[in-house]
Amino acid sequence: MKRTALARSAVYCPAEPAGREQVHARRLANGMQIIVWPVHHIPNVALNLWVRAGSRNERPGITGLAHFFEHMMFNGTRARAPGEFDRLMEAQGGANNAFTSDDVTVYEDWFPASALELVLALEADRVANLAFAPELIESERGVVASERRLRVEDNNHGLLAEQVQAAAFTTHPYRFPTIGWPDDIRAWRLEDLQRFHRTYYAPNNLTLTLAGDVDPDEALDLVRRYFEPIAAQAPPLPVAEREPPQLAERRVRMRRKVQTPLVQCAYKAPAAADERASAIHLLMSVLMEGDASRLHRALVEERRLAIEVGGHWQEGFDPGLLWVSLTLPQDADPDHALAVLDAQLARVIAQGVTQAELERARNLAMVGFWKRLATIDGKAHLLGEYAVFHDRWAALFDAPARLAAVSREELRATAATIFVASRRTVGILASSGATAGAGR
Amino acid sequence: MVRVPAHERLELENGATLILLPRREVPLVACQVLLRGGAGGDPPGLPGVASLVAALLEKGAGRRDAYAFAEAVEGAGGSFTAAAAPEAVTVRSQFMARDQGLMLELLADALRTPRLAAEEFGHLRDRQIEFIKAVKDSEPAELLDAYGRALLFGRHPYGRAVHGSESSLAAITPVDVREYYRAQLGAERLLLVLAGDLDLRGAETAVRAAFSTWPRTPAPPPPLASPPAAPARRILLVDAPGATQSHFWIGAPGVDKRYPRRAALDLVNTLFGGRFTSLLNAELRIKSGLSYGARSGFVRGSAGGDFTIRSFVETPNTGQAIRLALQALERLRGEGVSSEMLESARAYTLGQYALGLETAADWAAALAEVEFFGLGARYIDDYPAELAAVDRDAARAVIAEAFPDPRDTVLVVIGDAGRIGAQLGGFGPMVRMRLTDAQFSLETAGDEAFP
Repeated sequence: MKRTALARSAVYCPAEPAGREQVHARRLANGMQIIVWPVHHIPNVALNLWVRAGSRNERPGITGLAHFFEHMMFNGTRARAPGEFDRLMEAQGGANNAFTSDDVTVYEDWFPASALELVLALEADRVANLAFAPELIESERGVVASERRLRVEDNNHGLLAEQVQAAAFTTHPYRFPTIGWPDDIRAWRLEDLQRFHRTYYAPNNLTLTLAGDVDPDEALDLVRRYFEPIAAQAPPLPVAEREPPQLAERRVRMRRKVQTPLVQCAYKAPAAADERASAIHLLMSVLMEGDASRLHRALVEERRLAIEVGGHWQEGFDPGLLWVSLTLPQDADPDHALAVLDAQLARVIAQGVTQAELERARNLAMVGFWKRLATIDGKAHLLGEYAVFHDRWAALFDAPARLAAVSREELRATAATIFVASRRTVGILASSGATAGAGR
Repeated sequence: MVRVPAHERLELENGATLILLPRREVPLVACQVLLRGGAGGDPPGLPGVASLVAALLEKGAGRRDAYAFAEAVEGAGGSFTAAAAPEAVTVRSQFMARDQGLMLELLADALRTPRLAAEEFGHLRDRQIEFIKAVKDSEPAELLDAYGRALLFGRHPYGRAVHGSESSLAAITPVDVREYYRAQLGAERLLLVLAGDLDLRGAETAVRAAFSTWPRTPAPPPPLASPPAAPARRILLVDAPGATQSHFWIGAPGVDKRYPRRAALDLVNTLFGGRFTSLLNAELRIKSGLSYGARSGFVRGSAGGDFTIRSFVETPNTGQAIRLALQALERLRGEGVSSEMLESARAYTLGQYALGLETAADWAAALAEVEFFGLGARYIDDYPAELAAVDRDAARAVIAEAFPDPRDTVLVVIGDAGRIGAQLGGFGPMVRMRLTDAQFSLETAGDEAFP
């Protein structure tokens, strides 16, 4: 059990997390998918409602609609006045939130087990009976504009990323910013909203997950009572746009009144369901997770060309982007930092990673996985993620085994296929000079 | 029902306090460390020393240099984060259960034999200065507390920027860091909570071995004076030319951690600015669409604390939004809350309570807090009963005691001064700074000690 103070975890031993047998999954007659994971360490429940709709399902002129929808879902139904959703849920101890991505919109509720029926009734009501009061549409446009200023217009990371993403795709709707272009936020009409709701908020396009203090049979009965009467719709048309292969590097260069320049490299990367998914996660960890990671060490600690290195893989239904982002110190040269980044990536492709680096990444991934499994929120979310992006919720229980199976050569080969200059878009945000010298 | 789980509490002869709490949902072990003093021990006029010391703890310790230390932590999949808070230096760490021995070894090294190397110090300090610039570029709202607390508390330790300012950091030397370590980090300051998939006996032996020979510091931290009373209404306008929105912060001195009516305080704040349907969010978001969100909250320390309201709005609406927020506060004080509102806040607070005490890491943090402030396990166990007992009279009492008269608040606004200065004229006397100024208040670094 207890190891000595000097013991090190050199050997990785995957352990399958417990719980697979406890999970109950059903598909309702209308096509809606329900997954319930009963756990009883706290008297609460986490609910996720995953809608297979994001900015990927938009077109020019209605960008931002999926995200706007997320806001409208809190603004009243034909049965309940605006504000009732939150008022009723909070009065029974529940809290909620939601988020929208390129691929999905997810509604989240956290509540005491006693509020289960109310929460299901509220969720079903807004799926079946959403109202679109014109005055609320106008007020909510203002809220979204405020959110856009916060995340994009006054945030250099968001502003540059929006430009990079728009340049990275010529055809696929992944080029749209999830929050929407400002003119579109002002312009969409009631009919656009109604059509979007009918198409994408149909039960056959939804996955509902519950984790927490519930009796699975009772919970499934309640879900059935509230959601099964909602009629299925024709499945949404698949996203037909295929991004053509990128043949040349694209560059976006912006100048703003900033003190700290930014560099973002967005590489074309596979879809979430790709078989290299575990290798991609581990590769990113080797490169960018923690102070011992390669890029942090090289760029932040040794060369001092960046103050921060970060990255993420946009894991979606379609091939998307893998981002590497640098925040530079004042007056640093972005092109120089980029050259050093390129040399580091070339080294990984040429020489691969060490066994110790691979083990480090695996251990970090395992701790991250256990941390998510430690909460009902993490469980509800993992079930949804695997059900929606991998078509198989049970795959989450194989995650440790998949991590254990990745080899050093797979990491090298993955790096070689992803880190190709002609398949990337580089964004550089440099100082326009107006505030150089800390404004003095 | 939320109750503090069975745990073991040890006091070592050198004054260190250790708490062990087994909890086995997942094979992880979490650790929460508090070391009394924190930024309160920073030399007057030189905020940021404790913060740099905390960050340096993991930049080389014992037989490991900075890289080897990071390798040891991350190689095992662990995490290790040290930071300064107003009254403590904190360390949070989490490892797989099989590596709890390694975790304690690294923790003991970091606390007892940090290298505090000059080279690492210089790099960290320079990087911290750049981080402040980066935050100013993209997330200036993160700095509202630093500006606001300086305005509110002046030279009292609560007025200090815990992480330092660009100018104070530039003035800190390796000698300051070593002196802080010598004077402020030692056994009797240590409170360590270990929670998770523990082998209780083995863990007890290991923590004793790790810390029983750590010496005490030369002197206990001086007791914190009470913070000053509310200053007269003032506005600090921090100019961010070209900003499309203004971030505002309305603050006043608040109540301390031992405030006896904390359940009523939580319920009233929930109603005022603590959840989506709160009075503030209703005014600024739900009814008007002016902002993505508005909230209020109390930060409570051992000698006092603060009450703040914060939100952000498009530049032309700055004055209107601040007026709405102040009017909401005025209305709360005038009208109080209804029984129905109180019932809803009670259900909400109770319903969410267990979600904050779910994991071993949650329990480690909660027990550390309770121990640090000397509150006892009843602080956690009795909370639901205290919530149940809050009536409108109790709510009225906390509104009168803890929610400030709007005239006794100070304001910080970060935005495009050229476009909002005129909108703020009616709120009181105003002073201006530039966002790019290297400190968070008009008083320069190097002022004499706080009283």
